[in-house]
Amino acid sequence: MSKSMIAVMLLAAFGSAQAQDKPAPPPAWQQGKGPAMADSKLAPHAGKNTETPASEIPIDKLKLPKGFKAEIWATGIPGGREMVRGAKGKIYVGTRGIGRVYEVTDQGDKRTSRIVVDKLNQPSGVAFQDNSLYVMSIDKVLRYDGIEDKADVAAVDMTKAFNVPVTTHHNWKYITFGPDRKLYVPIGAPCNICEPPEHGAQIRRYNADGSGMEVLARGVRNVLGMDWHPKSGELWFVDQGRDWAGDAGPEEELNRMAKTGQFYGYPYCHAQGIPDPDIKKDKPCEGVVKPIALLGPHASVLGTRFYTGNMFPAEYKDTLFIARKGSWNRTKKFGYDVVNVKLSADGKKAKVKPFLTGFLDRKTDAFWGRPAYLLQMPDGSMLVSDEQLGAIYRVSYSGDKKK
Amino acid sequence: MLALLRQGRRALLLAALCTTGFSAPAAAQLAERCASCHGTGGTSVTPGIPSIAAQPKVFLENLLILVREGVRGSEAMQQQMKGVSDRDIIALATHFSRLPIRPAPGESDAALMQQGRLASAKYRCGICHLRNYRGREGSPRLAGQREEYLVDIMRAFRDAPLPGTESNMSASMYGVSDADIRAMAHFLARSR
Repeated sequence: MSKSMIAVMLLAAFGSAQAQDKPAPPPAWQQGKGPAMADSKLAPHAGKNTETPASEIPIDKLKLPKGFKAEIWATGIPGGREMVRGAKGKIYVGTRGIGRVYEVTDQGDKRTSRIVVDKLNQPSGVAFQDNSLYVMSIDKVLRYDGIEDKADVAAVDMTKAFNVPVTTHHNWKYITFGPDRKLYVPIGAPCNICEPPEHGAQIRRYNADGSGMEVLARGVRNVLGMDWHPKSGELWFVDQGRDWAGDAGPEEELNRMAKTGQFYGYPYCHAQGIPDPDIKKDKPCEGVVKPIALLGPHASVLGTRFYTGNMFPAEYKDTLFIARKGSWNRTKKFGYDVVNVKLSADGKKAKVKPFLTGFLDRKTDAFWGRPAYLLQMPDGSMLVSDEQLGAIYRVSYSGDKKK
Repeated sequence: MLALLRQGRRALLLAALCTTGFSAPAAAQLAERCASCHGTGGTSVTPGIPSIAAQPKVFLENLLILVREGVRGSEAMQQQMKGVSDRDIIALATHFSRLPIRPAPGESDAALMQQGRLASAKYRCGICHLRNYRGREGSPRLAGQREEYLVDIMRAFRDAPLPGTESNMSASMYGVSDADIRAMAHFLARSR
């Protein structure tokens, strides 16, 4: 336990009014970045807030298994990340920096979009249930009732009801409703590597009205993708790994939540049992739930969806697709793709295979797009949001029909 | 602020149609409007107003969009950017990113320079902003920026996380002392 944590606990225990004078920890972004890294030039890649027209998107560079095809489905939605489909078919898209939530309407031969809300602080989380859109930013929870019919419906401010901790770092959201109709909300660690506060580094769920909060898992760093297995009903989630511990990782994780209340290792133990080099304790990996699969170093795993449609070949049924937005804290770039993950029948093993590639040119180590989130459409095709170019691509399969 | 706004409007009216390589006259007029506050050629001589010359194009584009969206920047700047198209913002960013910066930061204090040099290294500013602090992509140029502006913006990041920043700057400034901020600003304003 760190000195600052002990200090915080002592202050809490004695109810000191001096609690706010606790010594400041090192900057969150710097934590775990040792002297050896001082000359590094690795920095988060800049996003792009301006619109990118379809003519400037090199969609032909994308590669898929035989019989699959990728096309540009929508453009002009800078920073587009999580997507959710409304009951009547409108698609809602959250963003981070630019502060907007978009509504995309499919007009058949083309897509139009409008801004539902703007000026929010990283409104990346969007969810939909019972004709209502839920938007979660760093500091707000908003609900739009009947928005698909009433474009100008006023938001119901649910912020107080949810009472989500307002730390900024790693607190941009991915949110989703579970089969239990509850809203699942991960809360990230407020740093790269640190002893997280009591309210951080966890996965929560709430009733749709913000009541009944439960903490389902602890010891997670930055969970930005999850879905429920179509057969077992178990929750599977991805977790992004720490920075500044070298090119090899620790690798990012695909985890299975066989039961609630478990500890997944952060900040002491990563991947398949790698003790953290900075935050140390005795037996750091004891009692830690290990991941089912490793998803690569610094891959920035995001959108995670089981495929339940009928368009793709049968071998894809009930498999996972995971978008890897791609690394920044690594000498040679990694990720920038969507992988397919086949799970064993007992859910204890997984095989990870590239599915959608071509965003990254391995020869020049340059990328043009960053796949972020996935959405299965009613016809079984899959939408992929590209946060870098503010576009949505549609992946479809027609291999068999051509024969 | 109002005075600045009026000044900006007058500059817009007076602006001659432009010779700086803009395809759209609207963008050329906008560039004149920018220069009326941010200085001829984009090097500011006005306290509190940053220089915009020689800033990375991506940084200028992304920030101007956030200002237009009302997410970042002063009310006066948001007013100026209202309704400006993505295309014009890209033209403005291209224009100012290509202009040289010509700062005149005044007398330097040797002790403050040394403290600022050490603090900038300690907080690893150079990883994103490059070791010469000239910036790249989304990370602005710090070298030659106005000193008092650097103090203001570093404090703002530290004290109230600014939206639209993807939080890295706020995280980087967390817990940094006023003394270190003043020293870094003094040093960076005099870097080339």
